[in-house]
Amino acid sequence: MFEDAIVATGITKNYGPIMAVDHVDLRVPSGGIFGLLGPNGAGKTTIIKVLTGLSDLTSGEARVAGFDVRQHPMQVKQRIGWVAAEVILDDDFSGWENLWLQAKFQRLSDWQGRAKELLAYFSLEDRQDDKVSTFSTGMRKKLEIALALLHEPQVIFMDEPTIGLDPGTRRMLWELITGVNREYGITIFLTSHYIEEADALCGLVGIIDQGRIVALGTPADLKAKVSGDFIEIETCETIDEGRLRSVPGVQEVRIQGTTWVLKVTRAEEVLPRLFDTLKPDLIRRINVEKPSLESVYMERTGKRIDQADSGVHDYRKFYANVRRARR
Amino acid sequence: MSNETESVRLFPPKDGLPAVPRVIHRVPQGSQFVGLYSRELLRTFRNPWVLVITIVQPFMWLAFFGSSFANVPLADLEALLHIHIQSYLQFLLPGVLSTSMLTVGMFGAMSTIQDKRFGYMKRILLTPTSKTTVYLSKALGSATRGLVQIPVMVVAALAFGVHINGDPLMWAGWTFSLVFLALGFSFLFLAVTASSTDWQTPGVISNFLMMPLMFASGALFPAANFPTWMATIANWNPVTYAALFGRGVVVNGTANWLYLGYVAIFAGLMALAGTLVARRYLKVE
Repeated sequence: MFEDAIVATGITKNYGPIMAVDHVDLRVPSGGIFGLLGPNGAGKTTIIKVLTGLSDLTSGEARVAGFDVRQHPMQVKQRIGWVAAEVILDDDFSGWENLWLQAKFQRLSDWQGRAKELLAYFSLEDRQDDKVSTFSTGMRKKLEIALALLHEPQVIFMDEPTIGLDPGTRRMLWELITGVNREYGITIFLTSHYIEEADALCGLVGIIDQGRIVALGTPADLKAKVSGDFIEIETCETIDEGRLRSVPGVQEVRIQGTTWVLKVTRAEEVLPRLFDTLKPDLIRRINVEKPSLESVYMERTGKRIDQADSGVHDYRKFYANVRRARR
Repeated sequence: MSNETESVRLFPPKDGLPAVPRVIHRVPQGSQFVGLYSRELLRTFRNPWVLVITIVQPFMWLAFFGSSFANVPLADLEALLHIHIQSYLQFLLPGVLSTSMLTVGMFGAMSTIQDKRFGYMKRILLTPTSKTTVYLSKALGSATRGLVQIPVMVVAALAFGVHINGDPLMWAGWTFSLVFLALGFSFLFLAVTASSTDWQTPGVISNFLMMPLMFASGALFPAANFPTWMATIANWNPVTYAALFGRGVVVNGTANWLYLGYVAIFAGLMALAGTLVARRYLKVE
């Protein structure tokens, strides 16, 4: 248990000519919550797939829960739990039967007591005999976490755990994730494209863009590394870059679609000067980003996380399709 | 955490130290197969419509197909079929049972594709369950589903007044010939669709195989009436041998055990080839 839960060295995964994961190094200490933050299509799910042994690595090495994922995939799979982005359960079966199936797959013998404890922990015991298709999204998610915990894993992988959930359910899930981590002492590896989620839950965050880790550290460390603020301006006025650059305090100028992104020393000092330079009544939108995980991402990639969506995966749409197909 | 969940602490954190996981007890082997196989059967037979259709279909076969020659004198039929029979139904029963094993593989393939599309295959393969176990459970699950038709159809035939000859050993052999046929076609279907994620594939393959394997066999009409090219297919077609074995038992009360051996070899080869294909090509999603 004192070994790192996940150690990945130079892991790379190609899908034909596309490099989904590009020489990623990771070290996740045991007992913490690690968050992989990045836009859709950045390679987060692929990293989970190669670390869990579901996809083969193109190159590189990874050890999860003390075992090499290539040489001992079955030992790894006995020691990990998995929570899918789109909630994968057998809808034709009850909650208890889903636990029973999971116990069979994990070859557990005396699992019933533990299953009952988990159902109680997640307040699902009243509904354990109902078909999962009658469960609400929040209940399905909780049952899926219970499945992941059943065989007492050392590491749980959660792929976009709160995608498509309403704010109330998301908050409940955050509490459960931190609770599971604290009370069960299980390392959690989660992916997210929600900045506030990574900030609220994770002790350690890796920021990923186009298959590469662009920043790694505690949320506080990462934020401290960002020197200065970001100002985003959308205006009807035609302006040239030189005019913005000449404003004192502006360090960098980029254009992202129709939005000017300025990196500045301190927003509160630069803003009045900007208003003097530009025509304030032609400004349509202005946004100030103080040091945050978002500004770390902006500094490294020049984009906001929600604008960087490569369109490879739209989970919400996918999730809706899955639900529709099940009916 | 709310107070409600706080009260059900399972592993209280030990001061500053990460919790040590308890020793988990694992059963040696076989449990994954039991889980997957039970899942296949429960999912199938909990659906009342599946049960109803499974029971009604054999009756329909015998009622409609069996009545096709109702007004033909028995002597003319016997001349056409080259065999002494009690009724056309008696001739048909083993044949219809053999041909109905042709479709059973489709169910296993469809259930596998459903698991790939809904992601459940990921849930299975993210546990220490091998692709071989998944493959075998799917094949045996769909074969079992097909075999339920045997007792139903035999009861239906008896209800229609068919006389079944032979002794219990022969009946067991007849059953095994159908079991082997069902397994063989299940293995074959699953292997062919191992890398597919398209709902339509199993249906298309089933339709494609259906015609030649159903009619170019001795199951519904005797191969003696076939042109040479069709007789050649019938000679290689395992459906022929299950049908001939069954017909020998039901009509004449004799068993040609070589036929049973042939069907067993077919099942064995398909199991071997299919397992190799599945281990390599079974897709996850």
